[in-house]
Amino acid sequence: MPIDSALPTRGSVCSLQEDTPLTNDHRQRVSAEDRDTHDSSAIVFEGVTKRYDDGTVAVESLDLTLPAGELTALVGPSGCGKTTTLRMINRLETLSDGRLLIGDRDVMSVDATRLRRQIGYVMQHSGLFPHKTIADNIAVVPRLLGWDKQRIRERVAELVELVGLDDTLAQRYPHQLSGGQQQRVGLARALAADPPILLMDEPFAAVDPIVRAHLQEEFLNLQRRVQKTIVMVTHDIDEAMKLGDRVAIFAQGGKLAQFDTPTCLLAAPASEFVVDFIGADRELRRLALERLDSLELDAGLTAPRDEIVARARSYLQQAGSSGIVVLDEARAPLGWLDWDTLKQADDRARIDSLPLKPWRHRLYVHDNLRSALNALISAPGEVMPVLNAQGRYLGVIDQLQLTRRLS
Amino acid sequence: MNSDVMTLMTGVTDWFSQPMNWQGPGSIPEHILEHVTYVLISTLIGAAIALPIGIGLGHGGRGGLLAINLSNIGRAIPAFGVIILVFLLVGYGVIPVIVALVALAIPPMVTNSFVGMREIDPAVRQAAVALGMTGWQRLWQVELPIAMPLIMAGVRTSAVQVMSTATLAAYVGLGGLGRYLIDGLAVRDLAQVLVGAILVAVLAIVTELLFAGLQKLITAKGLQQQG
Repeated sequence: MPIDSALPTRGSVCSLQEDTPLTNDHRQRVSAEDRDTHDSSAIVFEGVTKRYDDGTVAVESLDLTLPAGELTALVGPSGCGKTTTLRMINRLETLSDGRLLIGDRDVMSVDATRLRRQIGYVMQHSGLFPHKTIADNIAVVPRLLGWDKQRIRERVAELVELVGLDDTLAQRYPHQLSGGQQQRVGLARALAADPPILLMDEPFAAVDPIVRAHLQEEFLNLQRRVQKTIVMVTHDIDEAMKLGDRVAIFAQGGKLAQFDTPTCLLAAPASEFVVDFIGADRELRRLALERLDSLELDAGLTAPRDEIVARARSYLQQAGSSGIVVLDEARAPLGWLDWDTLKQADDRARIDSLPLKPWRHRLYVHDNLRSALNALISAPGEVMPVLNAQGRYLGVIDQLQLTRRLS
Repeated sequence: MNSDVMTLMTGVTDWFSQPMNWQGPGSIPEHILEHVTYVLISTLIGAAIALPIGIGLGHGGRGGLLAINLSNIGRAIPAFGVIILVFLLVGYGVIPVIVALVALAIPPMVTNSFVGMREIDPAVRQAAVALGMTGWQRLWQVELPIAMPLIMAGVRTSAVQVMSTATLAAYVGLGGLGRYLIDGLAVRDLAQVLVGAILVAVLAIVTELLFAGLQKLITAKGLQQQG
């Protein structure tokens, strides 16, 4: 069937993760050449173990390579070692065993404060300095690095804009800002010296859900522009799937359960634990990660607006279709013409003189399958046209076609 | 009874209004100067000892309870006892008085500076580390400015306490406002005793107000509107 053949063949995409530049569904990917230039900021865990003095093992012989320029989400139940894993990267925690490399530099061989100034860090509670203005908070690392005043001033102004803050806030103090604004300042502070790596410890957990969704969206846009190597800890699998190019799922006791792209995690979960963790609505999540252009669309039955009724009627009878998509001169769909309307019409009339049924939603190729399903469910039995980015007709889709994709 | 009070009040007013009490040896300004000198010296020495201890322990985060407990024990020992003890050891002079007052000044400053440092939001401390500040940079740029209001409150408590206790200097033959109390009691001159008491009280209040102003002045702006 055409629909099934459009599915990525699971084995090939999902197992070759190390060398294949993956096509992630919801954003533009970094090309292979681009990634090479970022390789000095790839983060490599080699048999890394963290054992505390009391004997508890937070992370156990972890082998993991976080590709440069990508966002990796570390996710798992509490106590799974994901935060410890993050904090070992900038040496807030010390490794008990193994090696941790950034590019080809062993983090333990670098002076800790120097290392940290090259790695941005964003925390759950912004951790802003209450006695410093927003501008001074953002300027902390550039000052530590000894930048001159002019350069710091310019950089601060740039960052205030980058993270979407009003520049009148620059001279305020942290307690005068909302939680969401404080998180933005925290992000600006972390990005101040333009570090190649950004570590984020549940950066959106402390803000309310509406603000969170908004911040996540903006953050994704920001990441597309800055292309940092980002490691983000979250306990929210939705957030991990939404933001991560790759997701590392940890199990209790600091063991890595699976490390893969969101699409592959959903398509080929490695264990029962992963299945449970991703949750029951796994199939629906998968839909959210795939776009309409991953489907082979049904070409559908179309007619130009100046077609006459008699001919349209015979098309319809030949194709055995329930209706026809009427297109204008630019191949943009005008509406749906069904058999009942056509049947009663005068043979010589132009079809655009008949009452055409408009669609309540418009589907575009870049829409994901989940929102397509939403649109189709709200209009049961309807066939909907799918448009390209310019609004031209590409094909049609109906609910049946999508639900078949689910099974 | 009523006339006793009247007599006393007249005595006090007379005392304050006599020109001879305002200049020369044994005059009010001289005793105030002596008194304030004792207080300044002991508070400064006390601060030089107490603040590094409290701040250091608060910065490191270890051994703080021990220090607080020790300094609280110190607080339980009466200043008068210390004066006599040191007097017996080193003999007559200003040293026993200063030692006793320093011992009195230390506990509030240790406790407050330690608590001030420990009460800094852990997220803020962590941020300072994660951004790549060295220990000294964290101390000077982040921890001290944030802890300053509480540290100053400790200094203020110590200074006011020392101000009222410095009267003890007179017991071992030194000056200060305690002279009026000791001398007045010796000759049952209640008016003189009351003059001393009033002056000590006024000085303590002035100290309190001065420090309150100072505290406000050096508290970072971002911290002021907070609770």
